[in-house]
Amino acid sequence: MDIKIPYNEDLRPDTGLYNAKLGIWLFLASEVMLFGGLFSSYILLRAGASVWPPIGLDGQSVAHLLEETIGLATFNTVALITSSVTMVMSWVSLKMKDISKFKMYMWITISCAIIFLIVKYFEYSHKIHEGFIPAHDTYMALYFTMTGLHVLHIIGGLFVLVYFVMPDGIKMWDDEPIRFTNRIEVFGLYWHFVDLVWIFLFPVLYLLN
Amino acid sequence: MVSDNISKQVIKYWKIFALLLFCTVLTVLAVYVDFDVEGSIAGGIFIGLTIAVFKGYLVAYNFMHLNDEKPMVYWIILVTLVFFLILLFIPVIWESTLVGKY
Repeated sequence: MDIKIPYNEDLRPDTGLYNAKLGIWLFLASEVMLFGGLFSSYILLRAGASVWPPIGLDGQSVAHLLEETIGLATFNTVALITSSVTMVMSWVSLKMKDISKFKMYMWITISCAIIFLIVKYFEYSHKIHEGFIPAHDTYMALYFTMTGLHVLHIIGGLFVLVYFVMPDGIKMWDDEPIRFTNRIEVFGLYWHFVDLVWIFLFPVLYLLN
Repeated sequence: MVSDNISKQVIKYWKIFALLLFCTVLTVLAVYVDFDVEGSIAGGIFIGLTIAVFKGYLVAYNFMHLNDEKPMVYWIILVTLVFFLILLFIPVIWESTLVGKY
């Protein structure tokens, strides 16, 4: 017997939303608190430090390396902002029933996410190579925790993005186009949130030191 | 009519994209400006965070469609923001209760 899950296309009369949309907003609320805890730790540690970024036990501060990596971090900001606009454009393409444009925008989004991860890899290896590991000082501990958690969100999102352009993911478009469009909208909300977090991480960790 | 609306939306998304890029450049340039607030970088922090808040608003309002959502979504965001602000102010409360005690 084929049981249809209710309210994945129609709006629930009590919430005014389809279920997945309510679910993603509640999930994003929990994500705000997750990153909020880290931002709160950042304020506490920074307010208590006499010098920022602090000087480690080896007598060195990561400040000079941060200036070198501003260019890379700016490039990554542009990559994520681009991925955000291409994500929303892929949803618009589905609204216009243009599946080839949808695929094109999704592949651009995937490329931007991969570029972001590659740049991050070089950034991490450069810092680790210079001895600036999470145990070096409180700034480095926060830097790796906050950007690492953000990178995990990008990796998770990348898997979902790839799934949506693979035959298994995209086949829903043929049978249930509205449900598929809703899926893309819901995933888009997650992706924009990941972009939003980076918009704050970028100045806080790279610029305002 | 529907396709006209979508075309207008598409133009708006690309304009927001351009504005976000412009704000990113401004944020980076602000680092190199000396705002000279009592010898600290408080001015730079204020400007940097203000631009970040504006960029966040642009993404949430336009890309996340908060310009046209159901009341349930606004309620979820409002409750989250209240708890988020409490979370951010915990360090401030912590610091203020320690002043003069040690």
